[in-house]
Amino acid sequence: MYMKAAEKFEKNKMENKIPAKERIIAWPRMGRIDIPLKALLVSLGANVVIPPANSNEALELGVRNSIEGICLPYKLNLANYIMALDKGANTLMMFQAPGSCRLGNYTKMAQKTLKSMGYDFDMVIFDMYKSKMKQTLQAFWHVTHCINPFRYYKGFSLGFNKFFAIDTAERLLFYTRPRELHKGDAEACYEKWLKITDETNSVWKAKGLKKRIIEDFKKIPIDKNKEVPVIYLIGEFFVLLDPYTNQNIEKELGEMGVEVQRQIMFGDWLEHVLKPSLFYRKESHRERSVRYSKDYMKRAIGGECIETIGDTVYAAKHGVDGIIHISPFSCMPEIVAQNILPKVSREEDIPVMSLVLDEQTGKAGYITRIEAFVDLVKRKKRQRNKLLSYTTY
Amino acid sequence: MNKAYKHKVGIPRAMSYYNNYPFYLGFFNSLGIEVVLSDKTTTKIINEGSKYVVSDTCLPVKVYVGHVVNLLDKGCEYIFVPSIQSTDYKINNCSKIRGLPEIIRNVINREFTMVEPTLDKTENIGLYDFCFETAEAFGITDKKEIKNAMKHGFAVYNNFFKMAQSGLSYKEALENAINDRFVTQTVDVIKPLSVVIMGHGYNLFDERISLNIIKKLENMDVKVYTSLNVSHEDSINAIENLGEIQYWANELELTGTAAYFLNNHKVDGIIALSAFGCGPDSLMVDEISYHCKENGMPLIHLTIDEHTGEAGFITRLEAFVDMLMRKKRALISKKSKPVSQNAEIVTPEKEKIFASSVK
Repeated sequence: MYMKAAEKFEKNKMENKIPAKERIIAWPRMGRIDIPLKALLVSLGANVVIPPANSNEALELGVRNSIEGICLPYKLNLANYIMALDKGANTLMMFQAPGSCRLGNYTKMAQKTLKSMGYDFDMVIFDMYKSKMKQTLQAFWHVTHCINPFRYYKGFSLGFNKFFAIDTAERLLFYTRPRELHKGDAEACYEKWLKITDETNSVWKAKGLKKRIIEDFKKIPIDKNKEVPVIYLIGEFFVLLDPYTNQNIEKELGEMGVEVQRQIMFGDWLEHVLKPSLFYRKESHRERSVRYSKDYMKRAIGGECIETIGDTVYAAKHGVDGIIHISPFSCMPEIVAQNILPKVSREEDIPVMSLVLDEQTGKAGYITRIEAFVDLVKRKKRQRNKLLSYTTY
Repeated sequence: MNKAYKHKVGIPRAMSYYNNYPFYLGFFNSLGIEVVLSDKTTTKIINEGSKYVVSDTCLPVKVYVGHVVNLLDKGCEYIFVPSIQSTDYKINNCSKIRGLPEIIRNVINREFTMVEPTLDKTENIGLYDFCFETAEAFGITDKKEIKNAMKHGFAVYNNFFKMAQSGLSYKEALENAINDRFVTQTVDVIKPLSVVIMGHGYNLFDERISLNIIKKLENMDVKVYTSLNVSHEDSINAIENLGEIQYWANELELTGTAAYFLNNHKVDGIIALSAFGCGPDSLMVDEISYHCKENGMPLIHLTIDEHTGEAGFITRLEAFVDMLMRKKRALISKKSKPVSQNAEIVTPEKEKIFASSVK
């Protein structure tokens, strides 16, 4: 009986009403994933529509059309779909990971909601976890009907390299922003490289992007001796990666003179998820998290709970000064993490602050809390340095 | 039952207790382990539990923590905290239920041994491994003994389930099953109205959490159906008939039950009972309300948390029952006078008949 339902589900996953040549493809937005995905789909010969970036307007649209109890990422996803369909898209792509949390239900609900709103479209859903390269390829073939293997090679290597380039630029931005001498240099450089990454069209150039970005960021004048506390950002995947949803917390922290580090990077995650385990030799983020969180958790419970705990312990053991944990309201795995974090904070001696975000989050109160936390972290760092200097004399 | 017990295990009266307690009891007793239960849920227990966890945690988990603290106060050394990850391939539970042992371990700073078996069919950890892990914590590794204990567990569980399905209330069925009695209800009570409550066992059968909703409805002369009245297969079939796919492990209690009664038109209305901030429930209730709208079935969604006031709760229930009553009365009065639709239209033939009858 279960098998029957599963088979039906597999068939429903990739709808096939619209011929491949007439497809106009759209996908939900999260941070800057539109740049690499666009490169991939365009090189497969598809037409794409990119919905406008997440904004208050989009959130309002999402909230109006979804139920009350669902989490924030779904509301934004739904708004993206609606905006894309209004712009002329007729095929929606989305990945899912059954068995994680409510994420596995997103597509099902969105499909139903959009159909009841009177839209006509195809939804292409594919599983993406535990090296599901085959299914991902299948989905892209289904959407584009491209049979040229060279195009697939070009698309995927373009996409991957752009992901890595964006990640590199982001990491350098986090490092440079609190240290820059002239305010705004790093941000401008980052924006410039995003634009160049978007415009790059050849695999050869895309492979060189990373090097050029590093060279360019090195040219920005920085104060190397400045005392900069390091704060780890951990928490839920979507909220971490989408600057609108987390109210651009990275920028706020950077301007307060704090170096932000984030362990969840989209490129890394994608590589771990899609690369067959035979070729993926290094220790993945999840494996490391499982190793570090052994004292607190014995099993993975879905979502990013184990990564949150593992990163906290990792940070404490590697001299990080503080941790900010962000999650959307009523996110189930992160609530479990929130319950565990006080004990980790106590035993590993690291300050942790949990921030819960939803559509009603006010910016002023949010910033106040961050400022207070940063003050605490800075004072703690100064005290520790003082103690160290006493002991050396 | 005069066996000398070697060990004592405490089972919190929350979460999986409400669905699986008969099995646990039979299993542990057969292994020679005494089962100690925590007290029934009170406001004090809820407050005790809320002290330990963050405020965003849902009510059932707070209650669970409260019960664990209650057991520790009673002097239990072993506490049974199962982690039921998935009940079938890729059919997972809510993260909080999966992470119950994780929460308990990190939240309560007292010394005790936690028996924390895992049931995860996605990773091929089946019920036997679950039971083996449980027995191992007490130093029992004899495979035959464990299998025998599982049989005992199922014997009690099946009795309980059969009795509940025949129409006995949860309390009676549980009491009879524990005392090794088998009673079935042969006479079906018929009441003017009947509703089905879709809700997790741990919300619905806990008299404090659900504010005794079943009894309140019965006092209003309403027959109440719950997930216990529907068999496993029926609820799976019902979900399939609606064209949905089972996603959550405990979806059968909610969507399955509601879908079953939605398909066979046995009830006049559906009451959805869920805890505030419950992730899976928000989706499942939405799914059912979508189908209810299509089929013209009334549905009310009641959300409960630790601050729920009883007065407002009753008012909403009464209003719902009144509405159902009015709807049914209107339906019956329509049915009792069968009038054909074109009775009032006067045709030339009718005129002739009328004229002839007057002559």
